[in-house]
Order: sequence, then structure tokens, then C-alpha cells
Amino acid sequence: MSQTDTAETTANRTDGEGVSTTAGETVEETRPEWTCHETDGETKLAVGDLDVHYGDDHALKGVSMDIPEESVTALIGPSGCGKSTFLRCLNRMNDRIRAASVDGTVEFDGENIYQDGVDLVELRKRVGMVFQSPNPFPKSIRENVSYGPRKHGDIETGLLARLTGRAEPDREEDLVKRSLERAALWEEVRDRLDDNALGLSGGQQQRLCIARCLAVDPEVILMDEPASALDPIATAKIEDLIEDLAEDYTVVVVTHSMQQAARVSDQTAVFLTGGELVEYDDTQKIFEDPESQRVEDYISGKFG
Amino acid sequence: MIAVARDDYRESLDTLRSDVGSMAAAVLEQLRRALAALDADDHASAREVIDADESINRRYLDLEGDCIDLFALQQPVASDLRFIAASFKILTDLERVGDLATNLARYALADGPEVVTDVRVHQIGETAADQVEAAIDAYVEGDGEACRAIAERDDELDALCQHASEAVVRELVAGEPDRWEIERLLDGISNLLLTIRDLERVGDHAVNIAARTLYATDSDPELIY
Repeated sequence: MSQTDTAETTANRTDGEGVSTTAGETVEETRPEWTCHETDGETKLAVGDLDVHYGDDHALKGVSMDIPEESVTALIGPSGCGKSTFLRCLNRMNDRIRAASVDGTVEFDGENIYQDGVDLVELRKRVGMVFQSPNPFPKSIRENVSYGPRKHGDIETGLLARLTGRAEPDREEDLVKRSLERAALWEEVRDRLDDNALGLSGGQQQRLCIARCLAVDPEVILMDEPASALDPIATAKIEDLIEDLAEDYTVVVVTHSMQQAARVSDQTAVFLTGGELVEYDDTQKIFEDPESQRVEDYISGKFG
Repeated sequence: MIAVARDDYRESLDTLRSDVGSMAAAVLEQLRRALAALDADDHASAREVIDADESINRRYLDLEGDCIDLFALQQPVASDLRFIAASFKILTDLERVGDLATNLARYALADGPEVVTDVRVHQIGETAADQVEAAIDAYVEGDGEACRAIAERDDELDALCQHASEAVVRELVAGEPDRWEIERLLDGISNLLLTIRDLERVGDHAVNIAARTLYATDSDPELIY
């Protein structure tokens, strides 16, 4: 289906019913119950009727879904389907795009993060993010990890702190070690913490970025195609890490690799072109028996 | 043309379906020839059935390999996954039906006196073969409804088999055979009971095929459990 067809389809939609395009062909309806997934465990993020516009472009259309804590939620769909837009809404990264307007609610532990007076620095500390390409700072491995805690004032190491006796070198060492261990990188870098992080391999750099994210003690980790630039071995390590992190954190991961979604996630949300959440369910259900024919066609490669 | 890889994949699924169908046709032919050999005491035909089992086994391994290739190379999901997984299991059932057909052929080769006249082995055999044929038709056509009907009809086959087994024992006892008579009839009786048991198992494999087909078509595991 072309993008034009989808646009026409949406324009002709009547409430929850099967839809017909202007050309008269019938397109599958989207049923609310396909996205109304009852998740196991407490809801960490509750997204309600989320709409995002980039200027005239309607990038996300009325998306509602509950993301349970301490689990991995995968977001899949073709390019331009709105999955990365959705991810960026979860810690208000879209605020940085001037033309973006966001309507709806995102409740984080019951508090709407889009209400007035939300401290964005605090929000992004609690909802961390890892990007597609590893983006370490051109600093030492140690400084990359301790950057966040220092910035947030969790560790005092400056000249004034040292002069007044408040410097906490042990605490910093401990934090760097714990974060690197948690990101499964410690053993590989323990003897070269002062080396420049840019000297690490791509996979190590990505785990360093995850360690940097963990160092500020987040509750949610958003990952935007975290392994798409990595070779299969580095990818496998990241996938192991994602599963491991889900024991303590709520992980939401955007991926183009359906096999990766199938391997690492507990629940999967399928977005299709037009910014629509079409189906959200246990990952096993999505990959073995999806409700929507369009989801079935997409994940089986029956498109175009 | 850009969609070559995906076209090839869709084609290989169609090929798998027709290859399993044609293996099933070969197995059914074996089964019916074995039944006819039993009926007519045709040793030559029975030997042919036994010899042909080797080619059924080779076909089974080839098609199993095709399924493994599809799993490994195409990483199927959703209905494709269910179809290939079901085919993989159905192949085993077909191979076993082939083995049971050779069992029947071996019973046909065994010499022994005609022991019981009241047992309609031919009718039981035809019913079992019809069940396999219906199950494989349902698989090829992707017909979930037919699968449920096959599972229900299996009760009739089971009843026929149970009735036949009881009839064998009853007739044996009614004849009040002495020790020498029992010794003389022993091989014939046990072959007859084994024939009935094997045909009942053919029916069970037909139900297995139907159960996997229903899972493939409707994602319904009802008949598997």
C-alpha cells in the first residue's frame, strides 16, 4: 500500500468500522481491542490518546498504550510509521523540535509528564535514552560514565569540592565500576578507564553509552535502534544486556529488526504507516498469531 | 524485478505444501496396497510395499531438511511459521503411517491359518486410509473445519477397532481350543490383533495431521491437546 492510499484511507475512516478508499477498495479496519493489551505487572508509562503533528504532518494518531515496568517493550514498524516519534514523546525529546506539537497524556508513575511545571532535566534523568549510533563524548571512559552524575550534582569532584573536602573519589570510582559492570563492559575496560572513549569499538561504545545512561540511575531506558550500527556479535551482547536490564529497568526499544524484537521483548507494539498503532500484545502473540492482517503481512514481509 | 527474494520465499511455501501433499499420496498408496495385499494374501505386492518404504523415508528426510532450511533462512513468523511448523510435524506422522503400512505388509507375508472370519479388517483399513486422505486434503486446502470433523470421526474408527479386537478374543474363547490348538493359532491371532492396533494408530496419525493443520490455519491448538 502506498502512503497516498493510507492517507486516503484515514481520511475516509468512520468510527472503528471497515474503511474504503476513494478507489473503492476495502482496507482492514483497526480494532481498538487489538491495541488494548492487558500487561503483566505495574504500569510504568501510560500513554493516552497521543497525537503528534510536525507542522501539517500528522505523525502519531491517537496512540494509547500501557507500558509495564521491568520489562522490554519493542516498537516495530516501517520507516516513517511514528515509532521513533512515539519513543521521543516518552521523555519529551520532541520538545526540542520547534514544529512538533504533542497532544494527549504520558503518565509516568501516574504523573502526566506533559503538564506544566515538569522539570525536564529530572524527567530525562529518570527516563534515559540510548541512540542508534553510539555517541560517547570525546573524553575518557571514566569521564563519560561520571559525566551525568557530576552534571546532576550527585558527585562532587570540582576544585571547590576538593578544597572543602567534599570530593568523593571513592564514590565516583564505585559508580563508574557499577555502571560499567551493569552495562557488561567493565571487564573489557577496567585497565584503561582513562583512555579516550572514541578508541573503543562500536559495540563497546554503545555499551559505554548504556553505562552512561545507567550512571544517573534512571527508571526507564529508551533505546532507538541501539544495535542497528553493530555487527552480529556486538548486537548479541546488546540484546543480552537489554534482557538483563529489564530485571531492574523498564526498557522501551525501537527496532527495525523483527527478529530482534522477537528475541528480546516481552510485548511488541506494531505501528504502521500513517502514525497508527495497529496492534499491541505479548511478543509471542504478535509473532505467532497477530490479529491484524496488515500486521501479519508486515511481519511476514508480504507487502508491496 | 525487486521482489525476487520474497517471491522465491512464497514459492517455496507453495512447494512445501505440494511436496508434503505428494509424499502423503505416496504413503496412502503404500497403505492401500498393503491392505489389498493382506486381503488377497498377495506376497509379491506385500514385498513391494516393504521395499518402497525406503523411498518414503528418503522423501521424509528431504522434506524435513526443506523445513529446517526455511526456518533458518527465512525466519518465518505468524501464519507462515505455523504452516511450516505444522508441516514439519505432519511429515513425521506421514512417515509413521508409511512404517505402519510396511507392518501390514509383513503381516500379509506371515503364513498362518485364517483365524477369525467375523473381523472386517478391510473395512477398518479403508476407514483409516480415508481419514488420512481427508486429513491431508484439509492440509493442502487449508480447511480448518474439515480438521474438526476428522477428529470426531476418529471415535468411530476407535470403536470399530475395539469391537474387532474383542471379537477376536471372543471367538477364540468360544472355540474352546486346547493347548495344541492355541499354539497353532497363536501367530495368526497376534498378527490380527497387531493389524487392528496398527490401523487404529493410522487413524491417530490422521488426527495428528488434522490437529496440526487446524493450528496452521486457525491458530487453534484445540486438537493438539
